[in-house]
Amino acid sequence: MLRMTLGAALNTGLRTAMEKDDRVIVMGQDVGALGGVFRVTDGLQKTFGADRVFDTPLAESGIVGTAIGLALRGFRPVCEIQFDGFVYPAFDQIVSQLAKMRARSGGAISLPIVIRIPVGGGIGAVEHHSESNEAYFAHTAGLRVVSCSSSDDAFHMIQQAIESDDPVIFYEPKRRYWEKSDLHQEASLGLHQARVVREGSDCTVVAHGPTVATALAAADAAQEDGFSVGVVDLRSVAPLDLETLREQASTSGRVVVVHEASTFGGIGAEIAASITEACFYRLEAPVLRVGAYNLPYPPAKVEDHFLPDVDRVLDAIDRTLAY
Amino acid sequence: MTVLAAHASWIDASRREPEGPLAPLQLVAPDGSLTEHGRAYGVDATLASSLYRDMVLGRRLDSEGLALQRQGELSLWLMSWGQEAAQVGSIRALRPSDMVFPSYREHVAAMCRGITPGEIASQWRGVSHSGWRPDDRRFHIYSLVLGTQTLHAAGYATGVAMSDSDEIVAVYFGDGAASQGDVNEALNWSAAKSLPLLFFCQNNQWAISTPTSQQMGAALHQRAAGFGMTSFHVDGNDVLAVHAVTQAAADHIRSGGGPAFIEAQTYRRAGHSSSDDPGRYRTNDEVASWELRDPVTRMEALLRGLGISDGFFGEVQEQADQLATEMRAACRSLPRPDLADLFDNVYAEAHPTVTAERRQFLAHRASLEGV
Amino acid sequence: MAIHEFHLPDVGEGLTEAEIVAWHVAPGDTVAINDIIVEIETAKSVVELPCPYSGVVAALHGEVGQTLDVGTLLITVGDSASEPAPAPSAEPPAPVEAAVPESAPEAKPLVLVGTAPKEAEARKRRLSGRASAKPPVRALAKTLGVDLERLAHADDSPISREEVETAAGRHPDVDAAVAAPAPGRALDASDGDVARETRSPIKGVRRVMADAMTKSAFTAPHVTLFHTVDVTATMDLLADLKQDREWQGRRVTGLLLVAKALLLTTRRFPGINDRWDEKAQEVVRHGFVNLGVAVASPRGLLVPNIKDAHGLALSQLADALDELVDKARSGKTQPADMTGGTITITNIGALGVDAGTPLLNPGESAILAFGAVRERPWVVDGEMVIRKVTELSLSFDHRLVDGQLGAAVLTELANILSDPRRAMLYA
Repeated sequence: MLRMTLGAALNTGLRTAMEKDDRVIVMGQDVGALGGVFRVTDGLQKTFGADRVFDTPLAESGIVGTAIGLALRGFRPVCEIQFDGFVYPAFDQIVSQLAKMRARSGGAISLPIVIRIPVGGGIGAVEHHSESNEAYFAHTAGLRVVSCSSSDDAFHMIQQAIESDDPVIFYEPKRRYWEKSDLHQEASLGLHQARVVREGSDCTVVAHGPTVATALAAADAAQEDGFSVGVVDLRSVAPLDLETLREQASTSGRVVVVHEASTFGGIGAEIAASITEACFYRLEAPVLRVGAYNLPYPPAKVEDHFLPDVDRVLDAIDRTLAY
Repeated sequence: MTVLAAHASWIDASRREPEGPLAPLQLVAPDGSLTEHGRAYGVDATLASSLYRDMVLGRRLDSEGLALQRQGELSLWLMSWGQEAAQVGSIRALRPSDMVFPSYREHVAAMCRGITPGEIASQWRGVSHSGWRPDDRRFHIYSLVLGTQTLHAAGYATGVAMSDSDEIVAVYFGDGAASQGDVNEALNWSAAKSLPLLFFCQNNQWAISTPTSQQMGAALHQRAAGFGMTSFHVDGNDVLAVHAVTQAAADHIRSGGGPAFIEAQTYRRAGHSSSDDPGRYRTNDEVASWELRDPVTRMEALLRGLGISDGFFGEVQEQADQLATEMRAACRSLPRPDLADLFDNVYAEAHPTVTAERRQFLAHRASLEGV
Repeated sequence: MAIHEFHLPDVGEGLTEAEIVAWHVAPGDTVAINDIIVEIETAKSVVELPCPYSGVVAALHGEVGQTLDVGTLLITVGDSASEPAPAPSAEPPAPVEAAVPESAPEAKPLVLVGTAPKEAEARKRRLSGRASAKPPVRALAKTLGVDLERLAHADDSPISREEVETAAGRHPDVDAAVAAPAPGRALDASDGDVARETRSPIKGVRRVMADAMTKSAFTAPHVTLFHTVDVTATMDLLADLKQDREWQGRRVTGLLLVAKALLLTTRRFPGINDRWDEKAQEVVRHGFVNLGVAVASPRGLLVPNIKDAHGLALSQLADALDELVDKARSGKTQPADMTGGTITITNIGALGVDAGTPLLNPGESAILAFGAVRERPWVVDGEMVIRKVTELSLSFDHRLVDGQLGAAVLTELANILSDPRRAMLYA
């Protein structure tokens, strides 16, 4: 068993995938010699050459559009969008072209493309570098959207995403890039399975990506007060692992969903609706959601008040217990 | 205190004004006679006859498409009338193995690549989003988001560049689409990466109701040169000139010269689509002047001048009639899709939401049918 | 001669009508495919329409200046003698159907699934007037036949589970088998006009139960043996388990321990778990026990079974029993739960009685009923003592099971229940 940072786990996963399959290529801004602004692609160009790992011009729409062309030619591109807030210029290429081309061509065209996006806040960054935009892509038929939270998941999920013949939006929690944790040799879950990180009989907190750690911290605090709070790491935002969510919700009867994205119109709403429909008679309280406020992301100095933190999660847990 | 003179001559050494257009290459004049360049280049009668045939067939395919729309058999048709030479001349100069990325008006080019009228009609009838598969005839499906295909073509060309092949990739788009960000990204990208990509722009003078004078500040071929690639300007209604220029551009790319750009001057003789009313924004004079420069009548005149017999022209007309009949029959017999089947084409691998919803749809439908 | 109809198409992606500007043909004219027949003006532009047919114009169906709805008949063309009829048939071309919207928008019915405005308002009024209760409590009330509206609080605070249970006259500690609410209308003293008889239809679970009982009674020759058992030790074990940390949160009941004893007994005497296959003329020995448990549910008497009960540890058996009862109470028992049973147990003690002659569940060879546990005088080592005593009633199919086997089973059950340590003897 190895112990490494989430960023290094991604690097190792990419490396492994590229060794396994010649068709896998890595492309994006500054991914070559620099190895990516977060060093996720560090050393890959040296190993695999500038044909397979190359820097693109500064054009996000271009990155995704040319990736589509490369996929049409038989390659399996892994694109990096440098920061979440800069995916928007590529939005049309992602939702109108990438997501739809299989359906538009009656199944004739496959676009096995992975779009890696460092996501989320909490790093004191300037504007447009702390967004959480998974809801837009989760809502787009034809895309798969996943979100890793640990080194082990990062390592296995990036490989699984690359192996998928469908387009995958792959979110990486940038505030966790430098955190170390254990990596297991074998993958314990499929790409779209949720992980029950912690069992709990009083309440279940559902999170993904950067908020998994927040949820665990809240569960620890709740335990000290005598409450058994479970945590589910979604891992896959679209499709959702409804089976696991149902099981956990039916057991505890109380669910709190936590995500960095704004609460309104976030994926928490989809989860709440699905769980309520499936587990109506088992629920002791409505499904509560804890997300960011419905504001454009604020300046760094106040982001801690803006993002869901342990206190707000505990508040929500308290509220569900009060029902 | 000194003030810099506003127009000091030494600044001019580091100053450049945008350039005006080059003269477009023309081998055959509108009346069918050869120009000076045309005489120098010479005419291959066999090639010319073959290109003429394709133009006539393509024109007929297009007019039949419009008729079918007017008869309620297609919900929409976008006319390629007037642009036959630009499409035939270019695609016939490429190799069958060169991958082509069209926009949505290249019915004549598609036909030249062996795509059938029924396959072309399918998406306009509303029974599919594309009637053909891209791989076998090396002709990608139509793209309705303007200019998006230029980036796909650039990506494809990137892949070609990684192989030993001397294939090139060609992408079609119009004067309006050239204003889109994606097209300009593709131009820059291809030049930066020296991709084996041919940008073929059919400047048909109009983007729905917006003339080129309001669409851009510099001639398209000059813009492309500004991005850093070899650019050509050609009379897009002169099929022999288009063919020659495309040949030259393709050779340039194949020999490692990087991407190339061809601006073909042509005219959209009909409206933008069957829903458009061009009379609201174009003058009759303008339309009439372009009729005089028609690509098909021009070639007919040339060929007759070369002594091609009536029999040939009669045979071409018969072939066109045959194609029209086939198109009508094929269009009317296009099968309606079943929504149930569409669930299978969203993802390559099983997806729980799709599986569940397909089931719900079938159950709902059955309940309505009292099954 | 065939007549072809051409209906006004939608030529502009969503147009609904067009005005006839000029006809280019007249009745009697010969037309070829794609000849222009008419000019029409739409909201977008003036458009020429080409003819889809060749032949002779039979009739024009509109006048210059007239506005026609999309889809209306425009022109009819007859075959000309020399030309064969072209492919299209007389019915309107398919895409016109697709393109044509409902021609009279006012007449278009509301397509939205759900309620039209008036209905929605009424529903809203009803909803806001409902008593408030959590979903599970609401479900319980429904199951127990309790009208929540009668329990509604003045301050609209949610009605509790306890309130519902009290209203149902149900003691929360009662064992698994729940008394089913009587079907049909109960006679109510407040009814003004009481009928001399009320009728309720024979259907659903009641019918199923009736059929099963009839089939069972008239197929298998039933014999019932009785045995009185000192179950003091088992009741002590029950008390101990309730205190056990590992068993906190689990429902520990007499039914559980008797069921376990029965499962152990079938290991030693598999004959009572056999099945008489009349059709194949064979006796089937099962390598498993699917233990049926009689449960009175809101739908009536159900006998769902626990699959592979023989392999379950006591804690697993407890959980399975819990789930089975919960499901039955909430009306969620599935058909699959009710088939495949091999032996059944029924707690008639919960009904307050001691013994009975239960009918076999069809397809099974034995059913064990046990009665209320009562304190009774008993003799131990020559002394009169007070012990906890219950009756076991074992009915069996005398085609398969004879008195000797039946008695042996009851004896073994008694042995285990009077001294649970005997379970140690089992594998």
